Amino acid sequence: MSDKKSKSFQFPKWLNTIRPHLALGALVGPVYLIVLIYYAWSPQTTMVGYQPVQPVPYSHALHAGELGIDCQYCHYTVTEGAHASIPPTQVCMNCHASIWTESPKLLKVRESFATGMPIPWVRVHDLPAFVQFDHSAHVTRGVGCESCHGRVDKMEVVFQDKKLSMAWCLECHRAPEVNLRPPEFATAMGWAPNEDPAVFGARFAAENNLNPREDCSTCHY
Amino acid sequence: MIPRWFYPLGLIAVCLALVPFAVVAKLRATKSPDPRPQIIWDMDQGYAYQSQQPNALFRDGRAMRPEVNGTVARGELRADDHMYRGKVNGEFATTFPPGIEVNRAMLARGKERYEVFCLPCHGYTGAGDGIVSQRADALQQGTWIPPISYHSDELRNRPAGHIFNTISNGIRTMPAYGLQVKVEDRWAIVAYIRALQRSQNATIDDVPANLRDKLR
Repeated sequence: MSDKKSKSFQFPKWLNTIRPHLALGALVGPVYLIVLIYYAWSPQTTMVGYQPVQPVPYSHALHAGELGIDCQYCHYTVTEGAHASIPPTQVCMNCHASIWTESPKLLKVRESFATGMPIPWVRVHDLPAFVQFDHSAHVTRGVGCESCHGRVDKMEVVFQDKKLSMAWCLECHRAPEVNLRPPEFATAMGWAPNEDPAVFGARFAAENNLNPREDCSTCHY
Repeated sequence: MIPRWFYPLGLIAVCLALVPFAVVAKLRATKSPDPRPQIIWDMDQGYAYQSQQPNALFRDGRAMRPEVNGTVARGELRADDHMYRGKVNGEFATTFPPGIEVNRAMLARGKERYEVFCLPCHGYTGAGDGIVSQRADALQQGTWIPPISYHSDELRNRPAGHIFNTISNGIRTMPAYGLQVKVEDRWAIVAYIRALQRSQNATIDDVPANLRDKLR
């Protein structure tokens, strides 16, 4: 600006006076980005709250909550197999062959039962392909449904309530105490011991020799 | 001199920097029917089919294949009539099969399974007053027939094999539970139903003398 003949660009002089501001910006900028990515990229943002639209408006709040039907009535493979299977249409028809037989909401259930084609339920809780989660190993040893699935008995439409990320799994494998309960209450919703859950859990884990492992091959096999 | 626009511009930049946080906070607080974003696809999707996944190769879309008609899987022959059908010489068995031991643990298992699969209709005591039955009655909807009580002479005299068969294959409007309840568990439920029947048809003489005071 001082030398009008020069064509080269020169920073304006006033920039010198804001050098402390620029230094602050250079410091705060990366911190800002790290915090933003940490917050936005957390499984709490990307995973929790997934609530797909299901082909049949089945309400867990009614069946499991209000009627109090045990989770295992429909998910009857949970204590035996790795997978708590989605029930075949036959199980819906146990009751709905005689109740709400004309309901339009159940049209797809009746269709499926008549044709033998499965109802295309949308999977909510989906782990990455190369991690194995065995339901029976957890449920029969004292981890309740609620610990990973939340209060399903209050959900009209099921959504993912927990992060189901590796760090989240490891949190519990390292300190399972607060998530333990006697296996007979595994499907109970809102169960809590009469004492401090950590105290109860520590005793329960010791009595039952529960030592969850953290090796890679515990889950990746 | 610092230009006049510098500080307002800085203030606007700081405000704009907060917008992404507000958007993420909104995302965290709301539910979405859309598939979740996969920012890094590190082996999230495999090529092997998992339980109950779809496979477009088959007309019914199932990756898990049902058994082929007319075949028997290894270990599934189920030739023992008493164990698997509750029959001895074509008649319903009055006893439990030799391989099934009735003991306290088995009764506890029977109670536990009863309360999962039978309780909704038959109720805690087998009177037929389960919550689904009550609700179906109240709705007056469909063709619901309430379950009959276990506590009649007819049902008390019913052979164990008959009750086992009813659980396995259903009876009248009661559906079959052979799919949902394993064979040993069905026998355990039979034993528990027997216990319920005795409990609801007992006299004070059935109670050990030293415990009678507790009932008064």
